[in-house]
Amino acid sequence: MSQVLTTPPAVGAPRPWKFPEAVTTRTSVGAPVHVFDRPGQYVATVRVTIAMPLIAEPRELEGVATIMSRTLDEGTELHSANEFAAALERHGAAYGVDVSSDALHVEISVPVSHLAPAVALLAEAITRPAFNQADVGRHVTIRLGEINQERANAGYRAREAFASHLFDSATRRSRPTAGTPDTIRPLTNVEVADFYRRNIGPERAEILFAGDATGVDAAAIIDEAFAGWTSGAGPVGETPEPIYLPGNRVVLVNRPGSVQSQLLIGCAGPDRRDPGWGSAAVANHVVGGTITSRVDTVLREEKGYTYGTRTSFAAPRKGGTFSLGGAVRTEVTGAAIGDALRILREARDGLTEQEVQEAKDSLIRTAPLRYEQADSVAQQVGSNIANGVPIDFADTYLSQIAATTAAEATDAYRRYVGTNGLLVVIVGEAKDVRPQLEGLDLGDLIDLG
Amino acid sequence: MVAGMPLTYPIAEQTLDNGLRVVVSSDRAVPIVAVNLWYDVGSRHEPPGLTGFAHLFEHLMFQGSRNVASGQHFSLLETAGASLNASTFFDRTNYFESLPSGGLDLALWLEADRMGYLLDAVNQENLDNQRDVVKEEKRQSYDNRPYGDSYERLVRLAFPEGHPYAHMTIGSMADLDAASLEDVHAFFRKYYGPNNAVLTIVGDVSEDDAFDAAKRYFGHLPAIPTPPPAPDGTIGPMTDVQRDDVESDVPSDLITMMFRLPVDGTPELDAAGLALDILAAGQSGRLNRRLVRDEQIAQSVSGGALPLIGGVSFGTLTGIASDGIDLQKVEDALLEEIEKLATEGVSSEELATVQAQAERDWLEQLATCAGRADEISHHALLFGDANRINNRIDQVKAVTVEQVQAAASKWVRAAGRVQVSYRRQESAASTAGEQE
Repeated sequence: MSQVLTTPPAVGAPRPWKFPEAVTTRTSVGAPVHVFDRPGQYVATVRVTIAMPLIAEPRELEGVATIMSRTLDEGTELHSANEFAAALERHGAAYGVDVSSDALHVEISVPVSHLAPAVALLAEAITRPAFNQADVGRHVTIRLGEINQERANAGYRAREAFASHLFDSATRRSRPTAGTPDTIRPLTNVEVADFYRRNIGPERAEILFAGDATGVDAAAIIDEAFAGWTSGAGPVGETPEPIYLPGNRVVLVNRPGSVQSQLLIGCAGPDRRDPGWGSAAVANHVVGGTITSRVDTVLREEKGYTYGTRTSFAAPRKGGTFSLGGAVRTEVTGAAIGDALRILREARDGLTEQEVQEAKDSLIRTAPLRYEQADSVAQQVGSNIANGVPIDFADTYLSQIAATTAAEATDAYRRYVGTNGLLVVIVGEAKDVRPQLEGLDLGDLIDLG
Repeated sequence: MVAGMPLTYPIAEQTLDNGLRVVVSSDRAVPIVAVNLWYDVGSRHEPPGLTGFAHLFEHLMFQGSRNVASGQHFSLLETAGASLNASTFFDRTNYFESLPSGGLDLALWLEADRMGYLLDAVNQENLDNQRDVVKEEKRQSYDNRPYGDSYERLVRLAFPEGHPYAHMTIGSMADLDAASLEDVHAFFRKYYGPNNAVLTIVGDVSEDDAFDAAKRYFGHLPAIPTPPPAPDGTIGPMTDVQRDDVESDVPSDLITMMFRLPVDGTPELDAAGLALDILAAGQSGRLNRRLVRDEQIAQSVSGGALPLIGGVSFGTLTGIASDGIDLQKVEDALLEEIEKLATEGVSSEELATVQAQAERDWLEQLATCAGRADEISHHALLFGDANRINNRIDQVKAVTVEQVQAAASKWVRAAGRVQVSYRRQESAASTAGEQE
């Protein structure tokens, strides 16, 4: 029997990896089609990404894009809502929509063996929706109920307060993507159909297939399904740069009965136009991107304040954010915020060579895992299109990371975090939290208690 | 893959001299490898007074072992490009990582060191710290969210006191508080050893190399005395109705019903699960059509079976009432649909739909090395047959409409259920939407 090893065995060099390549064609109606052949991926994703900046919504009808998106499959010119769902699900397909600041994504995942009929139904929802008032009205009601659920959810409340206090009210992102009760209630099928006519069409769309394409002409199936798509959509509007509110300040949102305080601490951040996007990701990994990062080493592993926190740099097409999020128990809220701010600010003094090297290794070497499944390829590419970067942007991102030095990572971080102040959002039992904030030097207190 | 063809993921299996079952499924298409260990210990093994122990253990397994410093398990693997975690459930505890294949030896070495020598590193300090972390996990996942205690309430009603499934995996904080270092050490010695686990390796490695590596790192670990089996939880369908009606500050009124179901690994459980899917799955399920789309008395409905190995499983149906609708209407409609299915059965079209959905779910689960490794460990540990992952779809598709009705009429009935309901407090309801 071999000797028991008391030190870790060496790790072999990883095989070189690149983001999967697409074969790109164009449908007869002009939309590009990107086919990612992923052998062994028996469930395919077909994702249609349509440029749809939320600035296209009238201010008093915000959320119309969301209601429109959710009612695409609620009855078409050919099928009732119930018939459509039954037909799609009979093929083993799952259907979903997602609305972001910049785009609408509509997708199905389906066993490749049922691809053609499922894609035909996907195309039917996107190109021939009926928008019956009964279905639109029902979704307005469902959205109002969903808002009640969101208000009861500490994490959601924190994100909402963070957005409304990080961005100036002239910036669309200061308000919820899916609208508020005031802007949702007036919506009928007239506004929804009108929004659809003005904003949805093949000239704004790109279509992705990711899955095992053995013996399947995915591009031809997609082309045939979308053949009749016409539209009167105008040119895509240009989203203005967001306006950030600067300064140190703390927002306390009262949520009676809370046993934890939900925290969200942050500021402006870069977006993908910034060549330092990759360096910022490296810095984030060191500071709070993982359980071994600086923040959780203290808040979780030393002090046991939390089940876990994470930081991230996130960005749509224009203008990003940095944030640290997590829940800590009520009694240690002040102490946890104090520690978190100290760690975030100390990181401005410099990240070490070793920290940065380990973060780079982790981020680069996990790439093949992140894109193993067909659906994750489609998600990434759809998000790249929405964000206005090339479909293989993952390779650019990884090469930015590989080239990052410790000084550059620190610099990317310093440019944003703590430079124009930090916004601290707390959602919790205000009467227990308020006394803990004294002496923390958090800036102005905006008390929503 | 052609529809209806059986899956053919390769499966090779060996048992080491110390009893560790090793399963390898080679897949050279990707440059990564997944390592997955299932230990045959879950919350169903916990005796009264030690609830939450299996899960607390999962946390301690990341705090270092004889040759691994605290925090090093994560940092070594992350630097090698791994995604890693662990989970605890009623039936088992599992530990897993996926990483570029050059890190296979590292992953196995780390898993072996904590399987054999965890206790060298478990001390009062990290026990206290992880107990705090687990309490925060409970607050975050159960206590600080609306309806967060619903399953705790339901399993307490659905199973007799002391039944292996009568308490949740998170356990009782009082039990965790009472735990001594010696209790923790004893729990480890009882359950953590090579002969109480399955090790699965999936991905970019040959079968021979994978078995050699498993022997190299785990072969020297001594077997432990055969752990006592979990108490037998065999129990039939419920024969009465028990309710837990809660008034609290919830955003909308909600009801969840729970039913006992047949034990996992039987066609009867598959049939009962498909019956719940016909009611609650997808947009075309009966409950969504009726309660959400047609009558609009519910904002949403959901449900399904939770397969378990210890003599019985359970399943649930949930409805959230539309604003201004009496929750009783939702309850009545759920019960009507339950009885209708049990007495009138299902159509072949409905059954084919939920079978097609189950097929997609299964193929997605197997679409990554990590997902495949997890299911291989699962089927090897709980059923002694890793190759079931290749036959699973055929088993589900073999279920007939007659079997669905038979299972439903025995297990999913209005007269044999427990339920928890949450209604908004009157004062809270009247001011909802006017805060801030």
